[in-house]
Amino acid sequence: MMKNKRTGTLISIQDSLVKARFYGDVIMGETAEITVDGKKLQAEVLQITADPKNEDAGIAEMQVFEDLTGARIGDTVEFKNDALSVLLGPGLLTSIWDGLQNSLYPLSEQDSYLKPGLKAPALDEEKLWEFTPTAKIGDTLKGGSAIGWVMEGRFEHKILVPFTIGKCILESIIDKQSLTIKEVVAVVKDEQGIRHELKLVFRQAVKSPIPFKDRSIPNKTISTGVRVIDLLAPVSYGGTVGNPGPFGAGKTVMQHSLCKYALADIIIMAACGERAGEAVEVFKDFAELSDPSTGESLMNRMCIFGNTSSMPVAAREASVFIALTVGEYYRYQGYNVILLADSTSRWAQALRERSGRQGDIPGPEAFPMDIPDQIKGMYQRAGADSATGGSLTFIGTVSPAGGNFQEPVTQATMDATGGFWGLSQDRADAKKYPAIDPLVYTTSVYDSFISWEDREKILQILNEANGIDQTISTIGLKKVPVEKYELYQKGQTIDFCVLQQDAFHELDACTRPERLQIINQAIQKLIDQPMQYSTDGMDDEEVKEMIKSKFDNLRQWWREWNTYAQDEEQIETLAIKIDQFILQEEYAS
Amino acid sequence: MIRKEINKISEVGKALISVEGNPGVALNHVVELLHADSNQSLSFAKAINISEDSTRFQVFNGTQGLSTRTKIRIHERPLTAGFSKNMLGRSFDGIGEVNDGGPEIIYEKQLSTRLDTLNPTVRLVPKQALWTGIPMIDVFNTLVKSQKIPIFAGPTEPYNKLLSQIAQGAKADVIIFAGIGLKFDEYQYFKDELSKSGNMDKTIMFSHLAGESQIKGLMLPDVALSVSREFADQGKDVLVLLTDMTNWSNILRNVANYQDMIPSLQGYPGSLYSELAKRYEVAADIEGAGSITIIGATTLESLEDPVPDNTGYITEGQFFLENGKLKLARSLSRLKQQVNGDTRNDHRAIMTAMASLLAEAEKAYEAAEVGAANDPFSQKLLGYRKDFIEKVEEPFGKPVQLEEALDLCWDILRKHFDAAETGLSTKLIDQYWNK
Repeated sequence: MMKNKRTGTLISIQDSLVKARFYGDVIMGETAEITVDGKKLQAEVLQITADPKNEDAGIAEMQVFEDLTGARIGDTVEFKNDALSVLLGPGLLTSIWDGLQNSLYPLSEQDSYLKPGLKAPALDEEKLWEFTPTAKIGDTLKGGSAIGWVMEGRFEHKILVPFTIGKCILESIIDKQSLTIKEVVAVVKDEQGIRHELKLVFRQAVKSPIPFKDRSIPNKTISTGVRVIDLLAPVSYGGTVGNPGPFGAGKTVMQHSLCKYALADIIIMAACGERAGEAVEVFKDFAELSDPSTGESLMNRMCIFGNTSSMPVAAREASVFIALTVGEYYRYQGYNVILLADSTSRWAQALRERSGRQGDIPGPEAFPMDIPDQIKGMYQRAGADSATGGSLTFIGTVSPAGGNFQEPVTQATMDATGGFWGLSQDRADAKKYPAIDPLVYTTSVYDSFISWEDREKILQILNEANGIDQTISTIGLKKVPVEKYELYQKGQTIDFCVLQQDAFHELDACTRPERLQIINQAIQKLIDQPMQYSTDGMDDEEVKEMIKSKFDNLRQWWREWNTYAQDEEQIETLAIKIDQFILQEEYAS
Repeated sequence: MIRKEINKISEVGKALISVEGNPGVALNHVVELLHADSNQSLSFAKAINISEDSTRFQVFNGTQGLSTRTKIRIHERPLTAGFSKNMLGRSFDGIGEVNDGGPEIIYEKQLSTRLDTLNPTVRLVPKQALWTGIPMIDVFNTLVKSQKIPIFAGPTEPYNKLLSQIAQGAKADVIIFAGIGLKFDEYQYFKDELSKSGNMDKTIMFSHLAGESQIKGLMLPDVALSVSREFADQGKDVLVLLTDMTNWSNILRNVANYQDMIPSLQGYPGSLYSELAKRYEVAADIEGAGSITIIGATTLESLEDPVPDNTGYITEGQFFLENGKLKLARSLSRLKQQVNGDTRNDHRAIMTAMASLLAEAEKAYEAAEVGAANDPFSQKLLGYRKDFIEKVEEPFGKPVQLEEALDLCWDILRKHFDAAETGLSTKLIDQYWNK
């Protein structure tokens, strides 16, 4: 059934915001194509108003996802009837797209530069997939029902009835065979008697979340490999985390570590308004690294939306929703997905630029008034599904202006997420990486690699050590009693040897739960037991000097242990070392 | 080609003019403004907002002397930048017009100034260090080919001197100088330095002096970067010196204000981040072609100001200049990890160890101010801090090779600390401590 084309003409152009006059009907949120110098540019309808000059006409306000240089009053707009959507199906993994799911490698064959109007298919249209049917003719199905599967790398990728289709009957389905995403695999008839041809792929509107089968509370901890997170601020499969930090505090390195080491089936990276070089490093260098669970190339579990900072701002908003929808799709398939969105502040800024142009009355720092609700809505799409066993974890970085956590996006994110990893400028300045401030974070998990009691003890000693540190800075070491100084040195040791981690060292960069538990036992022993040393004939200052030198030696040893101990025998040396340290027996270094 | 002329300017404001209705001009296309009677060309202007009711232009030469009778001639093209190898050794203004009094250039081609984004897949991961002979950069924050990195400095700091020193060390095929809102003596300083170092014949200067038309300053990076990109596309390694991006951002703020845009922080438009990013992201190492490295200058009162703050999120680190020293604490090269693993085996470790000790030393220094640094270790730290500032954070000494700089670091550590206090591994201590 072919509908008449619905068109309009441009009457106003301002940066990426345009207005078009139309006759007939335009739907809020639908996409449109504007023809500029023969190139078709993508746009989205934001607002529809009456035309004060012409009572038969309306005016559609749109944001355009590409540069409008050369656009003129009177240029034609064609309304497309579909909301902004993403193509879902086999081939998503290993893909690298721009913010609107144009595949970047095919685009580069057309031109080295992303010129307006260039398009490339989201998924490889030539690749053959071996389809195995599971549904039978006559089966009653509905949106989300599986009709068969293909193998996408090591993943069984179910072929689903699009979510927009209601109850339907399977009329035909092909036998097992290899085919491309362009070919029809089955036909269903819905209750209105309309027939739908199903392919390996379908389009899903990005602002309509893919439903959960049975949403459940996230309760299984992810091994991220980052010690400070896994010990003190763990995140669960299906959880949400905001990761704010001033520039230079290590957000990027943190994201890259999670990409490399977090245990998950699939990692989606939405590089939203950030440096292109960082996304490039991921898909060029990380491709040579291996997946911690399977040993395959890391890229086999990844897909990347590279809507980087110099790309059109309007597409930034879209890129995060597109990435979320892909994440939901794999969660629905039963996989554990982590979405890394870097940075949600750039996403919020895109909304701010747009609302400014639309002339909306601004909220705090000129952000749209409803930005907290939009942020909450976005994080709410993460979650665990007990029926499929899948989950979507959403870790969003936040780039607060001036490093000030009081600004609107950071505040709204703290409110919206279950976890909060605050990166500290002071720690970054002291090159204490990862710079997550152990005293400024929250977590809301129901499970952890170490007991809650142990965790509280670590936090308590860090807190006390921090207090003593401040005392030393203000009144001097002389005024600090010996036993407090020992406590301080213990806190410093936990910080220096455990919480700090070298993200660029092969072995130190990632610590798995088994090893973390051994480290925790060492920490607990260190916290619980006072050191046995003799202080005969020494005054307090000499005792403090002796304590410092003993801890210096321990720290040096422990740091080295972090970088070499791999086999069981070497790992056990930590416990032995701590025992010797506490008893102050001679130990071999 | 017959060029359409119109004559209905309805509003002449600061840097902007408006006409009623739409004269058929396309977005971002240029028009020429002509004297109503003599037809003398007064300026070019760019269409920035167009609607069926009115059209607004940014006037390149400013609006002084324009009237509602001024004629507008439509050129059916966006702003382009002329390109020719003969531009080397020459000087131009913000829209690419010769301003050194020399002969006009015959251009080989006209370049788009739209600065389209490079497809990320044709970027190479940067892996090649650019050595500067400055220990704070080479040891602690190694500069890498294709990096974009600004110098953050207060307005009275010698940032231009540092910029010029880095430029002389970095071996580029082409140097593009892009100066916005310069004082005349700054302009002359760069010109003299580039001549003295014998680099002038591989340099093109684009300059906008304080007090000149704001729109020319606003356009300057786009013109300079388009020319840079053409050289890079032809296989050249290009170094762009971009100073001072705070001046540029302030022009952006002024023009946004003239356009009645809703300000976000301190009057800057909400698009400040995207506008800065669009320029800095031109830096790239391009597969099968050359590279563009951008070293900028961003003057600031405070690191929290919107311009340095947004810049820090865009660039690949920053060099922080304070009291004439390159400070370790806030300086950062985000690309250093790409290159400092393949140098001497102590490079990364010494960098980390010295940085942690300096952070400790800063705490001791603060404590000392209230008389609290009274223990022996604090005293060691204070001595270390003094040496570090004088010997390592000094950017204007004679150039030092990397190995020599690393040895200097060991000397300083040895002078002040016991080996175990440095946090360095026993392996490195054995190798270097008693060298």
